[in-house]
Amino acid sequence: MRILQIDKKDWSAGLEKSRKDYTLMGPVKEGNNVSKFKELAAGEEPDFSITTTTMSPKSVVFPQSEVMFTFTTDSASADCNIMKVPEKSYSPRAVIGIRPFDAVAMKIVKMNFDTPDYQDPYWCDAYAACTFIGLAITDPEACDFSTSTGTGPFDTSGLDVLLVDAGDYYLAEVVTDKGDSWIQSASFDQEADAESVEILHSMRKEAKKKIESTVEFANIDKKETLDLYNEKYWDSISFPCLNCGTCTYVCPTCWCFDIQDEMAHKNGRRMKNWDSCMFPNFTIHTTGHNPRNTKLMRVRQRFMHKLKYHQSKYNMGIMCVGCGRCVTSCPVNIDIREVCKQMNS
Amino acid sequence: MLTHLGIEPERLQFSWISSAESTKFIDVVTEVVEAVRKVGPNTRLVKNMVREP
Amino acid sequence: MHTYIDKIREIASRLLKEEAVEMVIGYQEGTLPMISPPMSVRSAEDVEKLTWSSHCCINLANYLTDIKGKVAVFAKGCDCRSIVNHIAEGKVKREDVVIIGVPCNGMMERRTISNIFGDEIEEVVEEADGTVIVRGKGREEKYQKSDILRQCCRVCVHKNPVLYDELVADPVAIPEDIQRYKEVEKIEAREIDKRWKFFENLISTCIRCYACRDACPTCYCPTCFVDEAQPQWVGKGDDEPDVMTFHILRAFHTAGRCTDCGACVSACPMGINMRAFTKKLEKDCLDLWDWEAGLTSDMRPALETFTPSDPEDNFK
Repeated sequence: MRILQIDKKDWSAGLEKSRKDYTLMGPVKEGNNVSKFKELAAGEEPDFSITTTTMSPKSVVFPQSEVMFTFTTDSASADCNIMKVPEKSYSPRAVIGIRPFDAVAMKIVKMNFDTPDYQDPYWCDAYAACTFIGLAITDPEACDFSTSTGTGPFDTSGLDVLLVDAGDYYLAEVVTDKGDSWIQSASFDQEADAESVEILHSMRKEAKKKIESTVEFANIDKKETLDLYNEKYWDSISFPCLNCGTCTYVCPTCWCFDIQDEMAHKNGRRMKNWDSCMFPNFTIHTTGHNPRNTKLMRVRQRFMHKLKYHQSKYNMGIMCVGCGRCVTSCPVNIDIREVCKQMNS
Repeated sequence: MLTHLGIEPERLQFSWISSAESTKFIDVVTEVVEAVRKVGPNTRLVKNMVREP
Repeated sequence: MHTYIDKIREIASRLLKEEAVEMVIGYQEGTLPMISPPMSVRSAEDVEKLTWSSHCCINLANYLTDIKGKVAVFAKGCDCRSIVNHIAEGKVKREDVVIIGVPCNGMMERRTISNIFGDEIEEVVEEADGTVIVRGKGREEKYQKSDILRQCCRVCVHKNPVLYDELVADPVAIPEDIQRYKEVEKIEAREIDKRWKFFENLISTCIRCYACRDACPTCYCPTCFVDEAQPQWVGKGDDEPDVMTFHILRAFHTAGRCTDCGACVSACPMGINMRAFTKKLEKDCLDLWDWEAGLTSDMRPALETFTPSDPEDNFK
């Protein structure tokens, strides 16, 4: 395991240097003190003061709105009825400052878009172009329950490099060859001494200890699906829900999308937009029948998917990395940790 | 309300015109068209079908 | 606040025991600081979960549409007017709802408190004298509640419920000098191009989650215009004209019905003050037709009727 030491005064220069080979993306603040991941303009640096961004970095590989292809139905045009995929740059991008739980979430989402039988080119090409330069969480927030979901504040899974803020310098654990390429592009080459390596290990332990919020879900796996489905508590859990899309949009493991065409006279484009199982029309059929036409059904489905169905299907734990975004952003404070507790009891 | 949002007031105007008031119709239409021409092509709330990558 | 809580629980318990209602809608303690989310109680033994605080920001009238059976709801001033609006529009029958009025001195926005405090907040305690103590990350700060009240509460003139079956406490005083529309006037003072820039910036972080629409009691259409696909009135992506159209049209649909309860802003995960759209319409209804939402259930809302004497000064 190779660990480097990057003096903070060398950081900006290295970042700039890597711009010749990579488009840089990272967390930035905007609006009313909210934050998201976006492309960093010249001179713009990722904001490492944000522990958990309001919007997860899933938008880096899975943007909220994406044009699948354009077309024209104008018979006078040479391109009539031809679907044209827009020119998109998949040149290498370095996502700097992504937190460990978000990188693990990408791997969970990858199971849907990159299967043995089908690969979604939009998602897969974007993911392949990314090098994830993660930033360890040294000061976990109150709603971070990542240690009990199978990851943690210093987890390297899904990352190419893990940066640790050790005060005057960063320690950089190089996890993959892709990560090494970025390190070389930034010309960071100072190996960390044994003492620094020790510091990293003890910081990792400290950070994990700081996480007080936990969930338990072993019993959920043991219970019968229909027993969970028919529980009485869904009524009170779902009552305050507004059926907005907040939880699904901020969640790094949610990946549902809707396909809609937009027309302007004879020109059109097919759009892929984020969708949410919370929206009433999510399951509406062309007949008009809606199998999940009540709020209770939709809320129950969301938690069953996250905490039961995903585990039953893949046997790889719950479909949640414990980032806490849904908890802090939900307008009516529906807390997945509380729901998990009820389902697990 | 549109003016409050920043859509130029010239772009949305109201008038009661009976089908028997043809002269008034001509005058109002000419006036409104001139006023909008002066403000120039609208760029607000216009959907551009070409998205930036 | 504390005396409110005992009375709230007493009333809820009585109504459920007497079987006057099947369900009581109120607020509960949150799992996070600074939020008291809505809850429903169906049995008297659960009334201990009901609470009241200065973080009851969601409008409970939102939960009354399509309700089955008789329910009781704890309604602060703005929420109560929303219920009256529901009755006026025929969405709720007066005899199906027991309104327990709660005179309100205003609610605090959790985002405002977070922004001022700066660090992660562990605890917020409200003192009887209006001081608010905020604790987090080993620090403690004191604020005046009046400085961190929600914008809608600062300009509220309807703090007391207008229609109720019982009151939880005595009506509260309403200051004389409230400038209800100073936010609107601030925008009106800008020139046209700057106004558009202001609104563009305002909605630039909107993610089309529709929390504002779903928290709003006046938004109860079976299929919202943004969800329609045939015809597709509005694009469903993040193009600015579509996002802007959503907010403009939604505001228009609430004109004359919105009680400025602020639930939309409180629900928004991005902290967008979309009241900048609706407050102007509220002012126009008052200026043009002397109309305020939710004060009487006898009249249909402003945009559903007309009189021959309606002002037409801006008509050619």
